[in-house]
Amino acid sequence: MTEKEQQHVFQEWLSLHKGLVFKIVRSYSREAMDQDDLFQEIIIQVWHSIPSFRNESSVTTWLYRISLNTAIKWTRKEQKHNRTEALEEGHQLLHESESSIDERLVWLYEEIYKLDEIDRSLAILLLEGFSYKEMANLLGITESNVGVKITRIKKQLITKSKK
Amino acid sequence: MTMEFEELKKIWDSQYGKPLYALDEKALHNRIVSKRKSAYHITNKSELLSILVNLGAGSFVLAINLLDQSRNVFMYLMSGWMLCTGLYVWVSRLRRKKGDLQFDRSLQGDLHYAISMATYQVRFSQLMRWNFLPIGALIVLALWVGNKPIWIGVLMLIFLGLTYYASGWEHRIYTSRKQELELLKDKLETEEK
Repeated sequence: MTEKEQQHVFQEWLSLHKGLVFKIVRSYSREAMDQDDLFQEIIIQVWHSIPSFRNESSVTTWLYRISLNTAIKWTRKEQKHNRTEALEEGHQLLHESESSIDERLVWLYEEIYKLDEIDRSLAILLLEGFSYKEMANLLGITESNVGVKITRIKKQLITKSKK
Repeated sequence: MTMEFEELKKIWDSQYGKPLYALDEKALHNRIVSKRKSAYHITNKSELLSILVNLGAGSFVLAINLLDQSRNVFMYLMSGWMLCTGLYVWVSRLRRKKGDLQFDRSLQGDLHYAISMATYQVRFSQLMRWNFLPIGALIVLALWVGNKPIWIGVLMLIFLGLTYYASGWEHRIYTSRKQELELLKDKLETEEK
């Protein structure tokens, strides 16, 4: 694959599926600087992944796999180290749109953020309508494990929704 | 009152079709300018250091050879190679500086400038890396012709090997910075569509 072809695919994927990346970014990071950093990290990994994409899964599934794995790794790395570079770079690149500030949605993201990094992925995939089998395949865990975790996540979210 | 899972899904689905984030162009511009400045300073210093080291070492080796009236042709070749490398970097630097003037100070102009600087850095670090090969070969040949002990040649090769490895690491950093800028450009172009 030439670099030009890779660039074309990248632009197409980004224009069609950037909403998917934003959802993951928002679920895995709270601070604006972290959101910038994670967004950048995900798109770099997406770029690198293009030559390995073999059409064996849909583009969406592929992007979820890359983005969630990157977000999980990023979270683990962030827990270990404190970043300084992004803070030195000044203002954030991404600004939350006015239209996305829906109180209930903010609450839902907040609750997802409180889960551990694997459960966050499962919560996103569940809300996106993925099957247990697809989730297990995407995250490299067993289907029964997915089942147990999903039951717990659902219960937790429903309980937290008490007003 | 508790929500059922279906309600949670409805809340989640309400995001579809709405832009979640907007890109702040001013912040993006600042970031690009900061990356460009950082690349400029690193390139500037690397070039000057390379010119100084190559011209200095080349002249030194040549002077020693002339003073000793050495007949070791590889030593002369090595000093010639170093002097040529120093001159080549100097000319490249002048050409780069001349090329820098073509970029305007708009976001796109600065981004293209930063990418051009990063491309230059990647090419420069790759060239300097490859340069270890002829230098290493000439050193070994000069030692061999000069009947020096083998261990000096082995030590030299280990040292050059380590330097070659370290320069590969540096080269990868520049390549990754260049990729980051190109992705930023793609992101910007996608936003504009």
